[in-house]
Amino acid sequence: MATQSPQILQSVGIDIGTSTTQLVFSRLTLKNIAPGSLVPRFAITDKDVYYKSEIHTTPIDTRNRLDIDKIFDLIQAEFDGAGISPNDVDTGAVIITGETARKENARSISARVAKFSGKFVVATAGGKLEAIIAGKGSGAADLSRREFSIVANADIGGGTSNIGVFKNGKAIDSCCVNVGGRMLQIDKASSRITDISEPMRLVLSDLNLELRKGDRISLDVLRRICQRMSAVILECLGMIDPSALATQLLVTAPLRLNYKTDSFMMSGGVADHVYSPRPNMTLEEATQYNDMGPLLGNELANLCRTEKIPLVKPLETIRATVIGAGAQTVDVSGSTILVDEKLLPFKDIPVAIPFVDGIPMDEATIARQVAQSITSFYESDALEKIAIGLLGEQHFSFTDIQVLARGLLKGLEPLVRKTLPLIIVLESDVGKVLGQTMRALDSQLNIVCLDQLVVAEGDYIDIGKPLAGGTVVPVVIKSLVFETKQVE
Amino acid sequence: MDKKTEDLIIESVIRQLMETQAQSAENNFRAGPESNSRDSGSSSEPNTLEPMDVIGVENPHNLEALKVMRKTSPARIFMGRCGARQKTASYLNYMADHAAAIDAVLMDVSEQFIADNDLFKVKTVVKDKDEYLMRPDLGRKLSQESKDEILQKGEKGKQVQIIVVDGLSSTSIEANVADAMPALIQGLGTYGITVGRPFFIKYGRVAIMDEVAPLLDCDVVVEFIGERPGLITAESMSAYMAYRPDHNTNESNRTVVSNIHRNGTPPTEAGAHLATLVKKMIDNKASGIKLAALP
Repeated sequence: MATQSPQILQSVGIDIGTSTTQLVFSRLTLKNIAPGSLVPRFAITDKDVYYKSEIHTTPIDTRNRLDIDKIFDLIQAEFDGAGISPNDVDTGAVIITGETARKENARSISARVAKFSGKFVVATAGGKLEAIIAGKGSGAADLSRREFSIVANADIGGGTSNIGVFKNGKAIDSCCVNVGGRMLQIDKASSRITDISEPMRLVLSDLNLELRKGDRISLDVLRRICQRMSAVILECLGMIDPSALATQLLVTAPLRLNYKTDSFMMSGGVADHVYSPRPNMTLEEATQYNDMGPLLGNELANLCRTEKIPLVKPLETIRATVIGAGAQTVDVSGSTILVDEKLLPFKDIPVAIPFVDGIPMDEATIARQVAQSITSFYESDALEKIAIGLLGEQHFSFTDIQVLARGLLKGLEPLVRKTLPLIIVLESDVGKVLGQTMRALDSQLNIVCLDQLVVAEGDYIDIGKPLAGGTVVPVVIKSLVFETKQVE
Repeated sequence: MDKKTEDLIIESVIRQLMETQAQSAENNFRAGPESNSRDSGSSSEPNTLEPMDVIGVENPHNLEALKVMRKTSPARIFMGRCGARQKTASYLNYMADHAAAIDAVLMDVSEQFIADNDLFKVKTVVKDKDEYLMRPDLGRKLSQESKDEILQKGEKGKQVQIIVVDGLSSTSIEANVADAMPALIQGLGTYGITVGRPFFIKYGRVAIMDEVAPLLDCDVVVEFIGERPGLITAESMSAYMAYRPDHNTNESNRTVVSNIHRNGTPPTEAGAHLATLVKKMIDNKASGIKLAALP
């Protein structure tokens, strides 16, 4: 009720990147923000990041893949250091970033990490969510909300750059491109190249450079490479006309750019060098981390100056992704919902959107369109859990709700027959009454009916166990809308 | 210039001025779209007012920002101005909303509504609207005829009794009860809670439930009552509830869910939420601050 004391959620963020692995713990405060006499409305009101791990070098095995055992030793040590048991963790996210080559075993890692740490931890190795999480962690999302503007954030890591665009606090666009500070590894003592990543070969051929492992690199050549890669980032941001190289390096579809970006932020490991560039950087300084991160930052700063790009300083640079993962991934549903607690949690439920222009208030039409929307997902003999997204803020009379409930039950008959749960995600605040109406029609149904959430075709949704005395559930909506070329 | 010419000029200027004024007033009325996004107080409300959810500020520095802020509040912000004063459209909207508020208080809930929702009608000891407004104490007492009628047509010994009370907005009762009440009854049904036949009480105040519960021997009274209307909406309804209320009940024993209307908590969803609240009251034999203090 109104006087209920706030609930604290323990959240973990783990970011396993191409070059670094980090971990943060934060406390999220879940509180009823509605005045006493109103129906409660829960929201996450405070995010306190209270433990930040060291920035570790990501362990890589001899075949240049993620060394899972060593990564787990490292995570265990940080849990011990923070004095936290995996059982204490309520929510959070594990993000595995970096180039595709090293993501070969990313899937097995996500499964193991999720088991390792807590009840409702999201694991992902996809570009869009990462870009959004980084933009939330860097402060770009908040800036766009505060200034009512459009802010783009480029999180430049070791192997990839994740670009997220925010308007009034919400992500509106994103892309991921293979540009990073560790795509070329150089031994700082000898200036010899120790590793060339696959995407780097595209950059080299674009520049007509022939470099091999073991070659000694000069500052001039390294600078040319960094300049070219900086240009690719600005091309992806829509500040320079795109080249063939940018198209080759993009992991996802490019930004739609059907909006005007007001300001730009850079985060990730390379960003520190964008905001404090060093004039006359030497080869030793450029390769101090056995890669080209510092010089890439330097050259990107120069290019932004020449192109007169309005750069805003982020709150976090190298830690943006992990802080976003630890404090910004989880959302809460509306507070009047209907859920069968024993069914939860759900992970990676695909979302079907039966109606594009509002819900037709006719039982047969609803049933037909709902049935159609689920058959496009699965062959009828291989039916799995699926969520029905009902969009739009619409006013429903009680008769409308009854029509909708009957239409849904008819349309979802194949699910009911297989005793699969009916998962309904509404934008309008009528989740509870719709759930109760379906239950009144059939008391045996397994129902999870949530509201005040916006989903889209192609999204996946995770739903956790109820919080705050059963009034709300934590959710993470994973949008894949903009990812057409995503490789996993 | 002689006196005659002067008079002629003045006369023609005044005539012109009056014509332009009349025209612009007409334009103001015509400008609004057919469908008005605001609450309609009654069907007789003119539907030609300019919508209020527009940004009236001329040449704003950041229109996007104003649009976002406009959505955060139903208050009269960014209406624009003419010199130091509000625009005619703002003023007309204000007058219309004020009139709707007065109507909501002074009008009666229609017989049609009572029949449509399968209610029967009883009354407090209040004689008319004037007495109702000036004597709140009388709005808390049922007349003897009404008590008899309730005992005759109502159902004794059910767990929940729903009553519909006009309160200070008949408009809100007509706008919300048809959606909120069946949702509540359905919700209570899924919990297996019994409900007595709902009825309507004319000229009632919140504490009228204190007379109803002992009369029908029910556990919980859910009272739908019209809220005092304001200029944002005249359609807002509250649901007051208490566990076994009687003449010793004080206000802290009551639980309330307010702001039930189409732009607040939707009436259907409010009904479903009330069902859960009532179940909690019955399970814990408590309401008001005692219920709120429970974990």
